Amino acid sequence: MIADAAALPRLTLRSAPNRLRGFLAGRIASATDKETVMRLLILLSLLWAMPALAFDLDDLQHRLAATPDLQGRFVQQRHLADLDTDLTSRGRFRYQRDTRVVWILEQPVEDRMVFTPEDAGRLSEADGERGNDDRRRQQAATLLMNLLDGDWQALETRFAITLDGDAEAWQATLEPRQDALRRYLSRIRLAGGRYVERLAMHAANGDVLTVRFSDQRPLDDAR
Amino acid sequence: MTPADSTGRRLARLWGVVLLIALGVFVWQVRDGLPTDTRLTALLPPDRQSPLIERAGEQLGQPFADRFVLLVSAPDLGDAAGALAEALGAADDGQLVARLDWRDVDLADADPRESLDRYRYRLLPPALRETIHTDGGTSLVQPALERLFSPTASPQPVADPFGLLDRWLAARDDSPVTPWHGLLTVRGDDGTRHALLIGQLAANPYSLPAQQALTETLAAFESAHPEASLLHSGLIFHAAAGARQARHEITTIGLGAFVGLIAILLAVFRSPRTLVSLLLPLGCGLLVALPLTLALFGRLHLMTLAFGASLIGVAIDYALHLQCDRAIQGRAFRLRALLPGLTLGLVSSLAAYLAQALTPLPGLRQMAVFAAAGLAGAWLTVVLWLPRLRLPAHPATARIAERLWRLTTPRISRSRGVAVIAVGLSLALLGLIAARLTVDDSLHLLNPSSAERLAEERQVQHLLGSDTGSHFLLVTAPDEPALLSRLAALGDALDAAIADGLSIGYDDLADRVPPPAVQDANLAAVTTLYGEPLATLVERAGLPERVVREARARLDGVPRLDVASWLAMPAGQGDRRLWLGRVAQHGSDTLAATLVLTGLDTPAEVARIEAIAHAREGTIYVDRVARLSGLLGELRRHIAVWVGVALAALTLLLVWRYRWRAWRVVAPPLGALLGVLAVFAALGIPLNVFSQLGLLLVLGIGLDAGIFSAEHGRRPATWLAISLSTLTSVLAFGLLAFSATPALHYLGLTCLIGLTLVWLLVPWVRPDPTPAKESAHGNDHP
Repeated sequence: MIADAAALPRLTLRSAPNRLRGFLAGRIASATDKETVMRLLILLSLLWAMPALAFDLDDLQHRLAATPDLQGRFVQQRHLADLDTDLTSRGRFRYQRDTRVVWILEQPVEDRMVFTPEDAGRLSEADGERGNDDRRRQQAATLLMNLLDGDWQALETRFAITLDGDAEAWQATLEPRQDALRRYLSRIRLAGGRYVERLAMHAANGDVLTVRFSDQRPLDDAR
Repeated sequence: MTPADSTGRRLARLWGVVLLIALGVFVWQVRDGLPTDTRLTALLPPDRQSPLIERAGEQLGQPFADRFVLLVSAPDLGDAAGALAEALGAADDGQLVARLDWRDVDLADADPRESLDRYRYRLLPPALRETIHTDGGTSLVQPALERLFSPTASPQPVADPFGLLDRWLAARDDSPVTPWHGLLTVRGDDGTRHALLIGQLAANPYSLPAQQALTETLAAFESAHPEASLLHSGLIFHAAAGARQARHEITTIGLGAFVGLIAILLAVFRSPRTLVSLLLPLGCGLLVALPLTLALFGRLHLMTLAFGASLIGVAIDYALHLQCDRAIQGRAFRLRALLPGLTLGLVSSLAAYLAQALTPLPGLRQMAVFAAAGLAGAWLTVVLWLPRLRLPAHPATARIAERLWRLTTPRISRSRGVAVIAVGLSLALLGLIAARLTVDDSLHLLNPSSAERLAEERQVQHLLGSDTGSHFLLVTAPDEPALLSRLAALGDALDAAIADGLSIGYDDLADRVPPPAVQDANLAAVTTLYGEPLATLVERAGLPERVVREARARLDGVPRLDVASWLAMPAGQGDRRLWLGRVAQHGSDTLAATLVLTGLDTPAEVARIEAIAHAREGTIYVDRVARLSGLLGELRRHIAVWVGVALAALTLLLVWRYRWRAWRVVAPPLGALLGVLAVFAALGIPLNVFSQLGLLLVLGIGLDAGIFSAEHGRRPATWLAISLSTLTSVLAFGLLAFSATPALHYLGLTCLIGLTLVWLLVPWVRPDPTPAKESAHGNDHP
């Protein structure tokens, strides 16, 4: 115990916390807003599956257990505030409970994005774009699992959630609780009836991402 | 006798004044607390290279002293981590942690994209630059389009249509930490997910209240959450374990030794006042040593305090000899009769310690000054004050001395045969020592942590993929561009070696701040990309034409990212440990930085790194642990050499006084020395700096014993004093052999064996108890 102050720090303690603060901070920051969008997508997929009758989050959670798989079409509009321009894209989506959300972009470019929960990552067939996107992908997918499990508590730690309207025409507003998140995202709006019909995400910089869903129906057995 | 007596009284009074002044000076010196130093390297002389290495090492290790990391695994991770975070936040009325990071948003307040905004066009992953080189960037249009329309991206068509900065940041992403359900998590090798909590301590990790608050909070958490398991990492846990161990040992070993010591002294002298008079010289010795050392060296090294204080233990010898003699002689006691022995004892010890003051090692010098000053102070107190104190002499003391004398006088007559056997045995032991004795200078001697705790520490670090900061390359260059180029080239060489099968990792500042030439090449590549490919992208995405113009305009006057700007950014904070900045070396200014290596386990890997470093200008490989071990070895060798020199000089002095009888003086200490080393050699216990400091103590006490035995060998009182001296020292230091702290264990083991041997040897070298020569003053030799 005589000179442990001299011997210990460099003998045994490593730099983890220090290094974390540097790069991880950035990674997490950049992941946060993407993750938020994903959260939305996921929240969405969960609401698709839900006949929108209940306006109590607990009820909602119960109904999730019976969520069927869904498919349909989407129109996505990204408003870029600093250019005062809209980027519009269209396509189809497929949602398979516990497995994946597939986002099939048809216009103006063709692309196929697959979001899977982390543990099912290896199952994903369309896993072409690995590498740099892994972390983001996994986070989003893990959140998907979280939400599909109906973990509203997790969402509520970050968002103040208000639910308005009735089963035929309802609207949910999510507002970030933490400043760190609020710096990227001012609020999220969801609206729908039997399924989610509209999602709007308002970024702090004025950009708005709006997604409208149509032709929603349970997924064919032939997946 | 009256003039001498009045002189003595005056000197005693003067000594009191000196001690009062010393007390005053000491109180003034410690008005802001005792200035102590714990750095091992402070014991060693500065050289040209090492201040920089020293600073680099300190800088790499320092930030972790006041942080701790906890990894929690539990069925409900969110619940467990939340409860633990709440408990830690509330611990010690919220005074324990200054900051606790455990949610993903806790680390999200430093988005590098904001601060790197203007620099992004000069930052490209090398692979991307190659791609642009190869096809002019056309292959980057499709991914950029997908990015624009992906619901998960947040594109910036003007600032960064190709998302270059995100790619650059992603390419630098090697952390195993992932945000999960709002937590920070890492995966174990078996797939278990652990929640990560990083605490910044508000107090010093050595603060006992902080240690206690943390330990209690964690214990409470563990009993409330039996399903959760915790992994700890951080200096505070080691410090707490060390403090716990020290407390435990103080209550067992320390208390045992103290009670034993008091019991023995009381049994012999039967007087509490005599007991106090024995301890008085020790206190006075410390009172002289502390202010003097502080005045000369400015601060007190903890090693000095630990060993210096124990070396002063030799000082109790003087008091014991005086009190034993007085208790038995009663009214016939005269200080003058004892004075030659006492003086020679002091001179021999002073010589041994002052020899070390001549070494170039500041730490050793400090220990030597401390011990010498303490000894001198204790000696003066014994000589000037003790004879004046009126103390009771209990008849039991004389009885005990007689009985001890009878019991321990060898029955075998000391014939020529015994001498031959002794010499033969010594030679055999010397042979054994030469053949078998090993040395160990490894740093773990200073580390009181248990193997389990160290294994846990390593496990946490492994899971976090972090480095020890103990292996690094120290790189210097005259200016920043040259230094960054050297770092980058070094990184390339390491990458090549890693591709070639070398399994290590590294952390290089040039990965974040590329050399200016590379930054220029990156900007040129981005300019190429912003030509045709940008126009194609904007057209296919249906973005307005002006996006092309506006995006291109941003390429004008892009600043170069320099180290100072990077380190000032939140994202660059973690790299501050790697940057040493401007340093003076070889009389000129130069810039220095470290490149930290991880996973360097085998000598072959080290050899390869050394070869890479050796082939490069301004690059040296540093293994901090090996270096500190080397310093310990240097300390050990210096002590050995100087003690040898002192012994040789002392032997000459003793031969001058005792002629051929000098062997009676040196036989107990040298025999004990030989015995200890032989036991170590036979049992395979390596010699280290701490056992050697123990040998110094054995030598000091052994020499005193030899001198007193030679001076007054025929008196039972002397033998009683020698026995008490070795016994008290065995109790005080020998029992440390049972300490779990390696340093104390080796010191104690050496003292235990060595002092026992001294005690066993003295009866064999006593002058013959022939009545004809029996005289209290058989020492009046030239």
